[in-house]
Amino acid sequence: MEEKKYEVVLKIFMLQIGAVLMILPFVWLISTALKSPSEVFTQSLSLIPEKFMWTNFVDIMDQAPFWLYMGNTIIVCVGILVIQLLLVIPAAYAFARLDFPGKDVLFLLFVIQIMLPLESIIIPNYLITKKLGLLNTRTGLILPFVASGFGTFMLRQTFKQIPASLEDAALMDGAGHIRFIWHVIIPLSRPTIVTFSMISIATHWNDYFWPLIITDVDRVRTLTIGLGMFVQQESGSDWSLLMAATLFVCSPIIAFFLATQRTFIKNFLTSGIKG
Amino acid sequence: MREKLEQYQAYLFLIPGLFFLLLFTYLPILWSTWLSFNRWNLLSPKPKFVGMENFVNLWHHDVFWLVMKNSFIFVTVSIFPTMFLALVFAILIDERMKGRVYYIYSFFYPTLIPMAAAAMLWVYIYSPNLGILNVLLAELGFPKLGWLGSSDTSLWALIIMTFWKNLGFFMLIYLSGLQNVSRELYEAAYMDGAGWWKRHVAITFPLVGPTSLFVLVTAIILTFRVFDQIHLMTEGGPGNSSNVIVYYIYENGFKFFDWGKATSLTTILVLILLTLTLIIFGIFGKRITYSAD
Repeated sequence: MEEKKYEVVLKIFMLQIGAVLMILPFVWLISTALKSPSEVFTQSLSLIPEKFMWTNFVDIMDQAPFWLYMGNTIIVCVGILVIQLLLVIPAAYAFARLDFPGKDVLFLLFVIQIMLPLESIIIPNYLITKKLGLLNTRTGLILPFVASGFGTFMLRQTFKQIPASLEDAALMDGAGHIRFIWHVIIPLSRPTIVTFSMISIATHWNDYFWPLIITDVDRVRTLTIGLGMFVQQESGSDWSLLMAATLFVCSPIIAFFLATQRTFIKNFLTSGIKG
Repeated sequence: MREKLEQYQAYLFLIPGLFFLLLFTYLPILWSTWLSFNRWNLLSPKPKFVGMENFVNLWHHDVFWLVMKNSFIFVTVSIFPTMFLALVFAILIDERMKGRVYYIYSFFYPTLIPMAAAAMLWVYIYSPNLGILNVLLAELGFPKLGWLGSSDTSLWALIIMTFWKNLGFFMLIYLSGLQNVSRELYEAAYMDGAGWWKRHVAITFPLVGPTSLFVLVTAIILTFRVFDQIHLMTEGGPGNSSNVIVYYIYENGFKFFDWGKATSLTTILVLILLTLTLIIFGIFGKRITYSAD
């Protein structure tokens, strides 16, 4: 298929315009984070700071415990992911490969949850978490997210595609379901499990609403809430510091995805998220 | 015998997940539905059954209808243009092997950064005097706009920001769907003399139907639950002009401590979401759930 020259040029042009428009806000974020407060006030459109203020990052650490927030965020994200995998893999396996009464109804319960995110039922969840005495705890930040309808659905689709002959062979050899899951199902479904894990980490790294309402002390706060509180404390006056804090909150997750980009893009493009 | 054993095992596998699913999804919905028929606020600190009172009050409250209208605008305007452009860019990237990763990341990175961080960045972009948008408008000789500070533009400013945040995510899902479309179809259409646009209208658009459905469901969930950017950028204002359903629930619960009203709004939101689920599953259900059978 020969593409006409003007078509190629037009397509690259559109892509470039789109990409530049998408990136520009972030370039501006980096540039402002490195400017001095007085330079920000000159309203200049220059993207290169006159003087690079690396000290902005030191200043924000003096004003709020961002490293503590980051530690909390990591604990919460890893906690959610580990428990999610422990719950989701067996559940997805049961739905994909076992037969039992009530299977359809139970599966429906999991799938419907995809449409009912925590944000939509925040009030009763807050009341329940309060009753359980989990306000201001990391456990409270973790538990409401551990049952994942999305993960169950996604892994079930993948588990179903593993040939039944493998299962028969394994069960003949006297291996139980758990050993079969561990030695066959998980290795064969690695791309989907990795993709789900990355989506889970990105989602919960970014959670804001839930930590906002159940935490009110620094000890358990996560990065996003820390940022929100930092803004109120600064009352929006010093843009270079605010942007430095914003950049600090974004950088771990961006670094994580850049470091794993090959795996992520390849897995995402080939794994089961296709409806 | 083996069959019975398998059933036990299946339930064992399901119970842990089911427990948390019931505790943090279905129990809350039931409890909230019960509470929505109760008066429970600062003046009556213990829940008291009052029937439909909360719903009747909402019905006669102008702000409720404004919030519903805003939510409807937010959902429809953010979903469809974003889906369309996401598909177009996915096609463009799919056809371009050179610099693929660069393009994917330039569109996708906003999805990765926390909404709270994106909100701060956009508060700055929209800021009246120092924000890049107004500085640019002034340079070009146009009057500056109020963006977040004006009730005419606040909702739209949030929609634009949300568009920027979600476009890459939908684009990536479409790109994943496009991997299944056979190249030979395009070759054949090309031989028949179909141009670029015609080829895609005839081949790509119908073939990404299932992917579109997945994107649609994701988009509905993402846009109905918008909260972070509203809390950080406008607090629903000015004058409720950018208030949407989840923020309104938060406001009634955690600012006005009117739990009765907040739970009635929750009930309404859950009903809307379940109705949408029913519609989507009713039309496409077999295909989604059993596609891998």
